[in-house]
Order: sequence, then structure tokens, then C-alpha cells
Amino acid sequence: MSHHQSAGSERRSGALTIVKRVDPPRFWRSLEARSRSPELIEASKGEFPQGADQLADEPSRRSFMQLVGASTALVGAAACQRPNQKIYPYVRRPPEVTPGNPLHFATAYSLEGYARGLVVESHGGRPTKIEGNSDHPDSLGATTALDQALILGLYDDNRARQITHRREPGLGPEPAAWRSILVMIAERSEKLAQKNGAGLRFLVDPSASPLQADLRARLSERFPQAKFVAFSAVAAEGAALGNKLAFGRPLETRHDLAQAQVILALDADFLGDGPEQVKLSRQFGASRTPGPAMSRLYVAEPCFTPTGMLADHRLRLRGSEILALAQALVVELAKQPGLDGLAPLAGLPRAAASVDARWVAALAKDLARTRGKCAIIAGRRQPAAVHALAAAMNSALRNVGATVNYATPLAIDGGVEALRGLVEDIAAGTVDTLVITAKNPVFGAPADFKFDKLLARVPLSIYCGMAEDETSAAVTTFVPVAHSLESWGDGRALDGTVSIIQPLIHPLWSQVTDTDVTAAFLGEGDKGSHDLLTTFWKKRAIGSGWATDVSFDGLWESWLAKGVVDRTAAQPESGLATNPGALAGALAPLVAKAVKGDSIEIGFAVCPKVFDGRYANNAWLQELPHPVTKITWDNAVLMSKATAARLNVETGDVVRIEAGDRHVTGPAYIQPGHADEAVTVALGYGRTVAGKLAKGVGFNAAALRDSASPWFARGVNLARTSRTIRFGITQDHWDMEGRDPVIVATLAEFHKEGSHVNEKLEQQRRPLETIHEPVDYSQQPYKWAMAIDLSKCSGCNACVVACVSENNIPIVGRENVRIGREMQWLRLDRYYEGPVEDPEVVVQPVMCMHCEAAPCEYVCPVNATVHSDEGLNEMVYNRCVGTRYCNNNCPYKVRRFNFLDYHKEPSHVDKMATNPDVTVRSRGIMEKCTYCVQRIERKRIDARVEGRKIADGEIVTACQQVCPTGAIDFGSLNDPGARVTALHADPRRYNLLHEIGTRPRTAYLARIRNPNPELA
Amino acid sequence: MSADVAFIGRKFVLAEFPSADALLDGTRRMREKGHAKIDTHTPYPIHGLEAALGIKRVMIPTIVLGGAIMGVVSALAMMIYMNVIDFPLNVGNRPALAGPALIPITFELAVLLGGSSAFFGLLIGLLKFPEPYHPLFELEAFRRASIDGFFLSVEVPEAQNAEDVALQARELGANDTHIVVESER
Amino acid sequence: MSAPGHAQGNDAEVVLDPLDPRPFIEGKQTDKSLNDSLFRHVWIVPGKGWLALFTVALSMLGLLGLALGYTLYKGIGAWGNNNPVGWAFDIINFVWWIGIGHAGTLISAILLLFQQKWRTSINRFAEAMTLFAVMCALIFPIFHTGRPWFAAYWLMPYPSVQGIWPQFKSPLVWDVFAVSTYFTISLLFWYLGLIPDLAALRDSSTSKAKRTIYGMAAMGWRSSGRHWAEYKWSYLLLAGISTPLVLSVHTIVSFDFATSVLPGWHTTIFPPYFVAGAIFSGFAMVMTWMIPARHFLGLKHVVTMRHLENMCKVMLATGMMVSYGYIMEHFIAWYSGNQYESDMFFKVRWQGPFAPIFWLMVVCNVVTPQFFWFKKLRTSIVFMWFAALAINIGMWCERFNIIVTALHRDFLPASWGNYAPTWVDFCLFTGTIGLFSTLFLLFLKFVPAVAVTEIKELRHDTEHETHAAAAGGIHP
Repeated sequence: MSHHQSAGSERRSGALTIVKRVDPPRFWRSLEARSRSPELIEASKGEFPQGADQLADEPSRRSFMQLVGASTALVGAAACQRPNQKIYPYVRRPPEVTPGNPLHFATAYSLEGYARGLVVESHGGRPTKIEGNSDHPDSLGATTALDQALILGLYDDNRARQITHRREPGLGPEPAAWRSILVMIAERSEKLAQKNGAGLRFLVDPSASPLQADLRARLSERFPQAKFVAFSAVAAEGAALGNKLAFGRPLETRHDLAQAQVILALDADFLGDGPEQVKLSRQFGASRTPGPAMSRLYVAEPCFTPTGMLADHRLRLRGSEILALAQALVVELAKQPGLDGLAPLAGLPRAAASVDARWVAALAKDLARTRGKCAIIAGRRQPAAVHALAAAMNSALRNVGATVNYATPLAIDGGVEALRGLVEDIAAGTVDTLVITAKNPVFGAPADFKFDKLLARVPLSIYCGMAEDETSAAVTTFVPVAHSLESWGDGRALDGTVSIIQPLIHPLWSQVTDTDVTAAFLGEGDKGSHDLLTTFWKKRAIGSGWATDVSFDGLWESWLAKGVVDRTAAQPESGLATNPGALAGALAPLVAKAVKGDSIEIGFAVCPKVFDGRYANNAWLQELPHPVTKITWDNAVLMSKATAARLNVETGDVVRIEAGDRHVTGPAYIQPGHADEAVTVALGYGRTVAGKLAKGVGFNAAALRDSASPWFARGVNLARTSRTIRFGITQDHWDMEGRDPVIVATLAEFHKEGSHVNEKLEQQRRPLETIHEPVDYSQQPYKWAMAIDLSKCSGCNACVVACVSENNIPIVGRENVRIGREMQWLRLDRYYEGPVEDPEVVVQPVMCMHCEAAPCEYVCPVNATVHSDEGLNEMVYNRCVGTRYCNNNCPYKVRRFNFLDYHKEPSHVDKMATNPDVTVRSRGIMEKCTYCVQRIERKRIDARVEGRKIADGEIVTACQQVCPTGAIDFGSLNDPGARVTALHADPRRYNLLHEIGTRPRTAYLARIRNPNPELA
Repeated sequence: MSADVAFIGRKFVLAEFPSADALLDGTRRMREKGHAKIDTHTPYPIHGLEAALGIKRVMIPTIVLGGAIMGVVSALAMMIYMNVIDFPLNVGNRPALAGPALIPITFELAVLLGGSSAFFGLLIGLLKFPEPYHPLFELEAFRRASIDGFFLSVEVPEAQNAEDVALQARELGANDTHIVVESER
Repeated sequence: MSAPGHAQGNDAEVVLDPLDPRPFIEGKQTDKSLNDSLFRHVWIVPGKGWLALFTVALSMLGLLGLALGYTLYKGIGAWGNNNPVGWAFDIINFVWWIGIGHAGTLISAILLLFQQKWRTSINRFAEAMTLFAVMCALIFPIFHTGRPWFAAYWLMPYPSVQGIWPQFKSPLVWDVFAVSTYFTISLLFWYLGLIPDLAALRDSSTSKAKRTIYGMAAMGWRSSGRHWAEYKWSYLLLAGISTPLVLSVHTIVSFDFATSVLPGWHTTIFPPYFVAGAIFSGFAMVMTWMIPARHFLGLKHVVTMRHLENMCKVMLATGMMVSYGYIMEHFIAWYSGNQYESDMFFKVRWQGPFAPIFWLMVVCNVVTPQFFWFKKLRTSIVFMWFAALAINIGMWCERFNIIVTALHRDFLPASWGNYAPTWVDFCLFTGTIGLFSTLFLLFLKFVPAVAVTEIKELRHDTEHETHAAAAGGIHP
């Protein structure tokens, strides 16, 4: 508690010093939150309080009273001792706070409309670490890399703190108080109500929040002509449209790969993107254990993604050619017995593109063989036609209801097309009030909309954002809003399960939320989102008979504690069927106007690091190596070697991309396995109005985006400029040099007795001769070890961010990454195999191996790195003098040296993000993975208190906890029943660099592929 | 010349010989005449001087041997106490008492202490240096002892007459003699 | 007043070896003449040349101060080092200087034991070089660490509050002992040899001040026969234990690499090959300084062509040992069939990003000394000076190859990196050269650059022997 408050108070004189007196035993929020908003505290102080100028030009008694009222409220706040809202710790934890012991709170975070359940570790009132909520259907206890980085987003120094208001577009912004904004909205909505809300528009973030839906409904009652438009720069519009074509109504696709034996991903990165990614990763990972039930993954995509890297068969196609593949597949499937229903679709005119017929034929057979147990997944970037065909094939293959489901959308969702309507209205001048809760539409909107120019035409545009950005610069009124971890709200998983979003911390700066701004138009702007939320859910709970007026509070508390609301999952549609004939008719025009042209094709990609640009100011994500290219702090123009050769471009050359009258320049990067005659550029970079980290990082690909073809476009020209740059790249070497750090085999090879790979595996684990009698750990209570299953790792990066967050790992910046000083303890080594045109990829997480015969230890002159009784390779920070000898002698090069003072003068908020259980290392010290020793010790204490041994699976390292595919396991080899013990005995087990005789405690399980014999 | 000077301290006769051979010869003969406190001063060591001066054995090798042995013992004691007895640790699965790893430091310390004892044992132990003052330095002629002169010095007992000693030296071939008496300043 | 007795010493040059009639001391010399000629440069006011050089040296020394200060303020990050390449210029310079420091003690100690009379003209010079080179080297074991303020004393075996001791299995600790021992012993050896000369300086000085200063330094040496008796033994014993010391020091330095697991480091031939390399580079450095020094200080009559030629021969010999080391490394890398090893040599060093440095090393260290087979080149002052320079460069490149090239591409291709030095690295290197030059110029100014007493002794002995020989007596 006191932590974040004192921290906060440093930044804003007055405000939180008052709050500080509210010093509750647990986390509280105060009703007076509103009136304690910083601006008013400023206003209540000093000779010329803020808003005094307003007095000057409109001497109304009313506004005067507002100021006085607010200031009085502040005085009240000063005396406030009894806050009255509670949130509840997660049930796994004792409710009472023990100083030094963290609490875990369940909450959720919505991205693109759907919420993922989280459990947040909170130290003394500071949220410090994000974990997944195992009770949540889309989390199952794991999270994505982006979720992990929420913590840093919360403590972002560059978040906006001051409401600004232009009295009309074009005038300079002036600081304003929330209360005066409320007044303004109140007055404005009076007027709007009189004309039934004509001219009122809400541009909202895609959302499945019941509360938001309720607000929208009530707003529509008051303003019948008001319109709601949802916008996300990367929305999957094709899906809804395609499903509408296939089933007659806009449905939403859900997947369930638990039983899937053959999976086809049509430009779909289902392991690295989308609301289902964690769930699907978990299910897919489980299906990768070698054996008869091992799944097979086909991927067709223009550029490698985590999904593509795990593929058994990957077909590189330009994004627009996926349609041709889908069509070819339909043709092949229609030939299969029992699938002739697809024949009408086979008759469609074919989109121009050549696809490997043999590949498609084999795939079709495989799908037909596993009908009902296969899945065809189309990606968010694909047009309606592809989604429609996928739906048709899935239903023909009887997958619907098994591996694929279609359901009525729970979220208000929309992208470029949805925005078009609004753009036209504004252009027509029919919009006079625009409320924007969407994420930075000015940056995300296609360039041809010229959205920033348009906004100037709207007399009143209110934007709710966390930081100043391109949109806040264009609107008349900018209201900084609280972070998701600071505010109340609700959300739904893709399957409909409701989660209540509860705040983990008193807002550091602004306390307003989107909900408050929206509710202001109902005159409820000062109620506070907590009240709105509870009122709504109380009504809903009583209405649906879940609770009575009396019992609701208990129910509510149970929801908060668990993080999910039971029995709220929405059933998918049943008895769905496509009519191929009708569909064929509907598709014909779409196929006809599919992307054409013989020039280079540009594809826009969702960035796995900064998403659509909203995380651009997040240092953890910016320094995160891209899962495929390993580039940090930049985006690039990815292209195949052949294309690069034709354009006479090398990696690092800055190229100029022209599309019509628009152009951008960005550095080229040669990406093995990229489709020829195409380039891929990630969105979300090149922010112009943004925090100090985001500014000037990369180039803005959206500047080339055209609403007509927002994802793939032809007719672009690439030309090399004279400039070149050096990427901050963590791994610039592709090849394994025939050293096989990663052992790869096909399922067949692996099952064959005494095959080459089995020999190699045996060779890489059998005991070696040694002159030193190995230390005997069998008498120790524990013998810590780790196992990593390379068949499951998709390289999604979640573990890397989790490790950074858990272990206070510093950020070094692009320049230092460039010269090889990145600090992440856990790195994902990525190797290409085979021809550079079309290689296979393997990913290998590498962190400290905790070798029993550690080469780093005997070279340390000061005993700063030694072995623990339980076999941990311990790094003694306060003894280290920094000779770097240990890292020189580490064959795995997993040690990281603090070359500079990376923690020099952290801002007060930076400090708040640190994990108190882990030392912050100073300059000149070596550091490395510790197997999360702080977690081991916490469990050891608990176990000791309860007088028992630590059970298997009780200790979960940060990387293991977050891994969506469950590729990482940790435990004690002295426990015969432990999972890790079994995995160390697995026939796939081998040691990295075994021949050196380091006897690593981390074992790897070979990467087994399951290729289709017909394609071998 | 300085016979009538009241005796205060030591008396020396310094005799210069024309060549190294002459000096050797003179030295031996003077010693045979029973002069005990006798010494030579030459710019560089000359073969046969030890014999001429009747030096039986030199001390320094013994001192150096002692130093070296001390080095070996202290090195082994230090390493074994620190890494094996006082604070043994599992360092990369290497045995706490790792023989080969002891060798370098043992050797270096032996050299360090042996060498230092050669230096300090000589200058401080045996030569009792630093000794900035010595009566002989009073003589201007003695300067050449370090440049190109071959000198014989005899410390004359109180009873004896320095002039007689000087005379003996001249008879033995010294081409010049000086008498220096440690007088009060 | 020179004694008549010296007349006999005036005729006949000093010749030792009837097979090589060229003298070690040219011209007709007496103790006095040697005394005057060899002390001359101590008494005269330094010339413009010396002052100019000294100014340059001092400014380079300034760079060292700057570089070290900046490093302390900013951290090791001021250098080009990174995560795969933990050591670079810092340890390269360390090993390079230590190596150079080897010729001195070797010349004086080993050649003394082997009774190589020609050593007397160059040993003082070489010993001084050892001292200054080791001083330059000593900077790095402390300053290359991330926290020098701790490294400075945590490496010492003292009872710390942490209750923890140094780790005596670490070659770095061996280094600390080896290098500090080497420095101490070299200093004592040098000073012991200097005492008679200091006394001679005291006695030939003209002003009271000088007399007092050199008198203090001479500690009261009065050329006593009884003292000489112990002195000779002490000097001989110091020489005796210095000889294995020289060999041990670079052996131990080579353990830093040889005991590791890294391809290109993990090599059993390192100890002998490091020692040979050290003597190789040491002689090259002596040569580099001796040639101008003998010219400007008028030492040509004692540092004769015969000395220089002998040094060339030593360089030829050691150079070939080093070449053998290179060949062996490559052979083992291939013969072992260990892929990491063979890749390190045949891919990384031959063709990798730092290949030019490897090939430059081959040219300088393997090819250059071969020219010393030819007497014409062996006796050409100009050639041997440039050759020596080339060898100095070549030996620096060798250390770069061992350290940076091996580190930047080791076992796992994914962790391969690259390396580029910063301005601080270059300042650091230049700075150590500045420190070395400064000390050296001071040495040349204030103490005799050759061991005068020993030269006199040599003159005396040889004179006797030649007389004996003339008299048909025992043959040397």
C-alpha cells in the first residue's frame, strides 16, 4: 500500500500525501476518489487555482460552486479514514496480509474485446507479477508475452496525467478539471438528448463487457440516433463476414484442438495471436507428445510465425494466395469419398496463383482421413472468402461441433470497414460529438481515411487514452484514463465466461475510466465505475435468480476471489450447415476481385511485441527479441533471399516502399522461408506522438495501408536507398553449423529401434568418464532439475518476459543490444535447417543449465559462484568482482554481465515494478538464471512451517508458469514420482553439449516432427 | 700526521695498490702479519679475494634456502586451511583438496620468499645496510674504490700505531696510504 | 689520478672467443674510461631529443589516466567488451606486456647462469624493461574487473567479514601470485645489480646533492671484499630462482586459457608456447629500444653488433618455437576430430571476421624471423629494427586471436557475437605504451643503461685471460 502511495506522492505534490493518510490494512478505494483527482488538488492550492480563468470568462455562480465543492471534498478526503470498497484476495492465499508475503488477486485483461483471466501477485499493494488464472478457460494458468508486460505498462512513466481541453478544434489545449469536463458533457448531452442524439458517435474499443453493453443499451434509449462504432486496427473482419456467407449470419469462430489430429492453419498464427492463443497452445502442446495420437500441423503463410515454426508441413505463400490454396484444397477434398458435397465450390473460378498440387492432395487425404478430428483455421488477415471456404470445409468434414464451433458474437467488434461508415458521416459533417474509447484510431486507421484531418471537423471529440498519442493530439478533449490494473470493469472470454476486472492498486495518476466517460452521457459520470459495475451485476444476478438482494454481496465476493463467474459460458450454435451451392454463388464475385497484380505484394503483420502499437512504450516488449527475426527495438521489411537478390538489397539496407502517392522507408531484413515477391511489415512502429521509448522506433507501416485492402496489397514499389542501419539483434547466426544443439527427428525415425537419432540421443545422455567422483546428491532432500520439451516450444516469448518481470532484469536499449549486451537470462535460440528459401525452424529455450560440473565455478577467483547442496549453481552477487571469466568459460553463454549501471536512478514508478524477492544487481556484476531460487525458498519456508516436504509441482518457475504449451517442467530428481524425473528418463531426453561433461541439470527433449509420409 | 690527535674512535689505514694482483698479494701478506680487521675495496669482485681475506664460508645460501622452505610451507598451509578446512565449497564438482591446483601458488611463494630473503638477508641481515656513514668515506681518495682503485683497509687496534701499519702496507707494494681516524665533529 | 698499474690494461682489445674474434667491448678501454663514458649520459643535461620524446610519452600517459578514469566512472561498458567476448583489449594488453616483460629476467638470469658474457651489456637495460612492462601489465588484473574497488583486495587471502576466501583453483588467483612475485623479484634483482653502480655514481658525482641522492640509493656500499663475497652469491641465487620464475609466470598466464573448456583455449601446448612467445616478444621489444638507445647514449662500444646479432639469433630460435606452437595447435585441432576445435581454427580463425588479424600474425611471427637466417639481414640495423617492430605487432595479434577470436564464436552458434573496440580501448593501449616509455626515459636519464661494474669486471677478466693466453697458459 504505502509503497505506491508514497511513490505516487513524489510525482504530484499534495494529492497522494492526502491519500497517504488513508492507510488501510488491505487494498481499498475511496468514494472520494473522484474529487481527489490530481487536477483538483492542484486547483485547490495556490493563489490562482486551476479553472479560475473559467470564472473570468463565464462568471456563473454554478461553476464557482463546483470548484468550491471540489475543494471542500478534498478537505473531506483529508479526513477520510474509512474507504468502503473491498476487493478480495485469490482463494489460494490466506486473506490476511503478512508483511513480506505477496497476495494474489484474480482479475482480467481485455485485448481486442475478449478478456483473459489473470492472477496478479501483489507485494505490499504493488502489483509486481502477472500470472494466468487456471480457472479461466482462455488462460488455464498461462498468459501471453503481452499480458506479462502489463506490469510495466502500469508503471509507465510516460502515462498522461492531465486532462486537456480545446475550447474548439484548432485552439491550443488547456488543462481542465474532470469535474468541469463532467459539466461540459452534462450540458452537451442535454442538447443532444433534445435532438435524439443525432450527431453523437461513440468510437469504442472492441468489447464483450456486459457492463459496456448495458451502458450502450441505456445510451441508445436516451440517444436513439447515436451510433456505436467499434474499431481495432487489426480486427479480424474477414471472419465474421466469411461466416455470414457460410451460415447466413455473422458468427464467431471458436476452436478446440484437444482432439484435433490434423490441423491446417491458413495464415493463422493461432499459437501466437488472438484471444484463444493460450488455450490452443496448451491443447496443441499436449497433442505433440510423440505417439499414435500425435497431431500433425500444416501451415500456409507468407512469413514465419510461432505457428509456422512448429509446423510439420509449411507452405510459403503470399498472403493473397492463401485463397487459391483454399480453393485448390476444396477441389481436392471434393474428390474424397463422402465429401462430394463440396463439389459446387470446386466449380468456382480459381484465384490466380500456383500452389503445390502434391502438397494439397496429400493434405486433402489427411483431412479426409481424420474427418471430425481435424481443423481448418483461417487467420485474422484473410478475406471473407477464405473464412467462408474454411467454414464450408470444416462443416463438410464434420468438424463443426467437434474441433470448430461457431457462436453468436459476444463482442461489439469492428475494424476498417466499421470505421468507414463513421468516416463518411464525419466527412458529411453530421457528427458533432465523438467519444473515442478505441485505442489510438488516428494511428491505426488506414492512411486513406486521413482520420486526423477528419477529427478537426468534429466540434467536440473526447478521447480516453492512457498516454498522449497521435489521437490525443487530434481531439478537442483528452481524458487520461486508468490502467486496467487500476480500474473496475468486467469482460468475457471467447466462450462467454465472465470475469470481473478488479483493480490491484489505487490509480497512480488519472482515476477516470472509459466507463466513467461513457456513463457521463447518462449523467452518471461521477458515480464511479465500481458503483456502476456492482449496480449492474446486482440487477443482473437478481434478475437471473442467482442471488437475492441479501446474498449478492457474498456471491460478488466469490466472483472476485475466483476471477470467473460460473455458468456464464455461452453455448455455440448447433445444427449449423453450409449450403455450398449458395456459397459458391456468393463467393464468385469475391474471388473475382481478390488481390491481383504481378508486382511485389506487401503484407501487414500484427506485431507480436507491440501489437498494434499500443505497447510501443513498453521497454520489456521493445527489447524482446522478435520470435522469428530476433530483432529488438525495430520493425523491418521482411523479404525472401530471392526477392532481396532481385531488388539488390541486403539485410540492413534502408528501402523505400511506395504505394500510390504514399511511401515509407524502413530497413530490409532477409527472412528465410518468406514467400517470394512479397514483403512483410509489422504494424505498430514509427509512433510520432508517444512516450520517450516509443518515439522514433521503427517505421509506421500503417502509412501504406489502404482501406480497400488493409492486409495485403500489390502494386508497391521497393527501391533501395543509400542508407543502411544495424539492427539491435540478439541472434544473427542462422545455422547450427552441423553441431546439432537441437536434436530433430521425424516420428518414424524416432520410433525405429536403433535409428540414427536414437543413437545420437543415447550418446548425448549416457554417463561420461570423469576423473572427479561426481558429488552424490541422492541424500539431499531435493535435487532441482528442469526439463524442456522442444517438440512443444513455439518460441512465443512469454517465458522471456515472465523471466524479466520476475527477476528484475534490466533493459539495456537498442545500442547495447547491438553490441551484444542484452540482459535477458532466458533466450530462445532459433535455428534454420535446410534451404534458406524454405527452411524448417527449431526453437530452443536456453538459460543456465545448472551444470553439476560447472565450468563457470572453478574459474571464479573469489568464490562468487558455487554449488548449493541441492545442486543449484548459485551466483553470489555481493561477492562478485566481475572478472567475466565465468561467462567466458560457460559453454552455453547464459551468463549476463552488467556492463553499465542499468538500474541507475530508477524513477519511483520503475521501482514499484520490481520484485522485492530478487536482488537488483549493480554495475560490474555477473548474473544469470537461478531456477527462480526465490520461489524455491518461499515454498521451502511454507513447507517447513507445515512440517512437510515440498510436493512435486509446488514450485513453479516463472518461465514454466507462463508457458502456454507447457514445454517447461521443474522439480526434484530425488522425487521418483516427479514429472521432471520421468522426463529426465524419457527416451527423447538429451543434454545440451553433453560431450563437454558439464552434466547439466536442465535436460532437453528432442524435437519430434510428424510429417505426412506421403510428403516425405 | 694525525698521530697527535686524541684518540676518539676507530682508526683505519687505507692503502692503495697499483693493480688487482698487487692487492691480492698485499692483502694475503698483511693478514699473515696478524692484522685481523682487514678488508679490500675494489670496483668489482676479484677472483681470490675470499682466500686472501680468509673468508671460510658465505652465509647467504642458507638464508635463501630457509626463505624458500618457508614459502612452500606457508603456501600449502594457507591454501589447505582456507579452501579445505575453514570453508570447503562445492566448486564445479572439483575436490576441495585438488593437488595440481596447489602447485602454482606453492612455487610462486617459494620464489617470492626465497628471493626476498636473498635480497634483504644480504643487505639488512648480513651487510647491516643502510649504512650511509663510514670513516673511510672521509677520504677523498676512497672515492676511487668504486671507480678504478684497488684498496686495502686495515682497522688498527687502539694499542697499535697507525703509522707502522701504513709503513708495512707501503713495504708490501701499496703506492699510497692514508690514515683515517674517527674523530668527533 | 689513474694508477700506473693500469698501463698494462691499455693495450689489446678485449677478445674472448678465438672462434669469433669480434670483441664485446670495442676500443682500448680502462675502468676509468668505461666509468666516464658509460656515466656520461647521466651527468649531462638531457638533450632536446630526450625532452621531446619525454613530452610525447607523458601525453600518452595522460591518455591512460583519462581512459582509466572514464572506465571507473562509466563501467566496463565503456569498452567494446560484450557478452560472448568478456575479455578483449584488457587481457590482450595484459598478456602482451607480461610477455614483453620476460626478456629482461631471462637475459640477466639465464644468460648469467650460462655464463654468457655478452649479457652484461644489455642486462640492465632488459631488466628495467621487465619492470616497466610488468607495471603496465599489472594495471589490468585489477582494472579489467567490474568492481575494481573490491577486486583490489578480495583477491588477497585475508579474513573478510564475508568469512569467504579466494578460490585457489582459479587461474586468476594463480595469476595474482605469479605476477606480483615476478614484479617483486625482478625489482629486487634489478636493484641488487644496481647497487655497485649507484656507489660508483655517488663517488664520481660532482655536486653534493647528487652525491647525497646516489649515496642514499647506494645504501653505503663501499665495495668491500667481504661484502662482494656475499653479494656475488646473493646475485647468483637470485638469478637462479628467477630463471624458473620466468618460465613459471607465462606458464601460469597461459593457464588462464589452457584450463578452460573453450575451443581455442583448451590447449595443452599453451604453457611452452606462451613462454617461447614471451621471450620472442621480449627480445623484440629490447631490440626496438636498444637500437636507438645505443645510438643516442653512445653505448656502441659496449652494445656491439655482436650483441644485436645474438639477439636476432634468439628471436629466430624462439620465433620458430612459436611457429611450432601454431602448427601443433592446428594439427591437434584436426587430429582430435573434435568439431568445435577444428571449426575454431579452420573456419573461425582462418576465415572468420577476424581472419585478417590471424594472417597478419602469421606474417609477423612466422615469416619475419625466418629472414634472420641471412647474416646480411641479421646484421642490418635497419632491417632488424623493423623486424622487431613487426614481431611486437605480431605478438599482439596473437593474443587477439587467442582471446577475442576464440570467444566470439564458441559452442552454440546462437550465442555467437561480434566485437569492436571503443576509443577507450585504444586510449588504454596507447596509454600503457605511454607509461612504459615515460618510465623508460626516466631510467635512461638517471641510472646507467648498462651494468658498468660488470662491464669493468668483464674487461678485467678478459684482460687477464688474454694475458694468460699470450703467456701460453690455460686456454679459456
